[in-house]
Amino acid sequence: MPQQRMHAASQSSDSQQNQEQPQAQVSQQQQNTTAEQVDALDAILDDISTVLETNAQEYVDSFVQKGGQ
Amino acid sequence: MPQLHDSTSRSNTDAQLSAHEYSFDRIFGLETEYGLSVTGTDHAIEAGAVAVTMFRPVVEHARSTNTYEPNGARLYLDVGSHPEYATAEARSPFDALVNDAAGEQIMRSMALTAQQQLRKQEQRHQASTAQTNSSQALIHLFKNNADSAGHSFGCHENYLIRRFVHLQDITNQLLPFLITRQIMTGAGRFADGHFRITQRATFVDETVSSATTRSRPMVNTRDEPHANPEQFRRLHVIIGDSNRSQWATRMKLAMTHLVLCVIEHYARLEQQPASPTFIESQPSSTSPFASFALADPVAANHAIDEFGAHAVITLATGEQLTALELQQRYLAGCQQFLTEFSTHVDRSLGEAGAAQHIADEWQSSLELLSRDDFESLAHTMDWAAKLQLYSRLVSRMLQINLEQAQQMLLGRENAQQLPNAVSARLAQLDLDYHDIANGQVFESLVRHGYVRQEVTQQQAEQAVSTPPSHTRAVLRGQFIQAAEQAGVRFTCDWTSLEVLEPHKVSIQLLDPFVSSAAEVPQLTQVLDDLVQRATQFRASH
Repeated sequence: MPQQRMHAASQSSDSQQNQEQPQAQVSQQQQNTTAEQVDALDAILDDISTVLETNAQEYVDSFVQKGGQ
Repeated sequence: MPQLHDSTSRSNTDAQLSAHEYSFDRIFGLETEYGLSVTGTDHAIEAGAVAVTMFRPVVEHARSTNTYEPNGARLYLDVGSHPEYATAEARSPFDALVNDAAGEQIMRSMALTAQQQLRKQEQRHQASTAQTNSSQALIHLFKNNADSAGHSFGCHENYLIRRFVHLQDITNQLLPFLITRQIMTGAGRFADGHFRITQRATFVDETVSSATTRSRPMVNTRDEPHANPEQFRRLHVIIGDSNRSQWATRMKLAMTHLVLCVIEHYARLEQQPASPTFIESQPSSTSPFASFALADPVAANHAIDEFGAHAVITLATGEQLTALELQQRYLAGCQQFLTEFSTHVDRSLGEAGAAQHIADEWQSSLELLSRDDFESLAHTMDWAAKLQLYSRLVSRMLQINLEQAQQMLLGRENAQQLPNAVSARLAQLDLDYHDIANGQVFESLVRHGYVRQEVTQQQAEQAVSTPPSHTRAVLRGQFIQAAEQAGVRFTCDWTSLEVLEPHKVSIQLLDPFVSSAAEVPQLTQVLDDLVQRATQFRASH
């Protein structure tokens, strides 16, 4: 029960060092960067298209290695 | 250490050892186990067989799968056919990072050589069965911590710490730091249908113990200091992930160093309150981390794996706070400590301003985490780079927005489960990210400037034959190179060097801070002799 997610916006302010970023400002910033982020990430996904075309399940299943520390 | 020094240098050595005891000087080391698999063949190939092929040149050269490299590092084949690389002793986190990057070079080269041999074998096999296609066999060498069936293997950190630090200080003051630092240094893992921020937390089930394979503790108490055991112990941290991000590799060592400096300082005060030390003023005799012990470290570790910086954890005092808040308190304790001792910590790192720089990087990372600024975090943190890329892939595959995709990935309440095909693709990318031989995901992130690396290709290549400076590794490196040039049989380990022919000569090197052969007269003699024999060896070949 005590282990649960506390949302960034609802953090208590008394012990916070970093309260200079109000949530509204964060949202605006996130919106502005979303389009650029998506372009950058798409470029990377295009770059790795050969990986995305291989058989994922086979690739994953081929890596079974018992033992180790 | 009678073999080390003659009587005239003894007093000097004692003074040096004492100087280290009263300083914050530290030896850093990383041990990385790699995973192995093969794709592109029409029949399964066991990891054990690939490992044997990879180590064949090593065995031919060194007559063993356990060997030391000219850069001072140890290269060997571990239990379960895991190729393992242990860095040489390093005096700074960056030096350890560079030596680790050299390990990646060595491992990649071994894997690609083995791949060529495997392809030749496959082609011979195909020719005998009248097939004509050339072999597409690929060896995958994973710098990660789990295979697809949930077998785990480690990336262990070693820190030389002062003997007067009690194990209880490690459990109460260091462990909460090691658990919460994962909000920055977690390597991320997609498995069982959702994303977690660490590779290792799922497999760690104890706090501090002497086991490594039967159960997996966060800190292992196996006490092999590879140094004077009266003065030092080795802190063997096994909770950490294998990072591809070089920032994360360096910073996990750097932040831990700062925290250890504080813990050592207060342990020293407690141990020797009246003894003369270099520390003049003593504002408080209680460590700032004294009340940070966790109520349930294993539960906290799992909560952070699931929820990252905003996971709520409970201290032994009953107080609840987020992982991020506990990290902020650790940072504040270190910053306060540095107002008085930054020059001492700088000296341990060999660079003016180094300690404050670590604290500044730590602070700006915590600020980004407090704002959930994943895009900026992705430049340095493995888990954030993965989360960003995977979210975009899911949003493209399912035609949903990034926010929805992220909620699904994280397995949040009310979010739909990911379809099997998407999960399989993510699991594949999550392995490819860690494949240092043929992986494309991480390399593409770096090429596009999305993830920033700190060691240049040239630095990594140089470090294949150059040991970290100002440590015993320099002597080991000189010895290995001289013995190889002389063509004589030799052996060595962390604390000894041995020429095996024509007659046996052993040299003990118990002080990891000694880096000049002039300080070890017997070694100077041996090196001179090897140089002479190298000249004869060359003349006769």
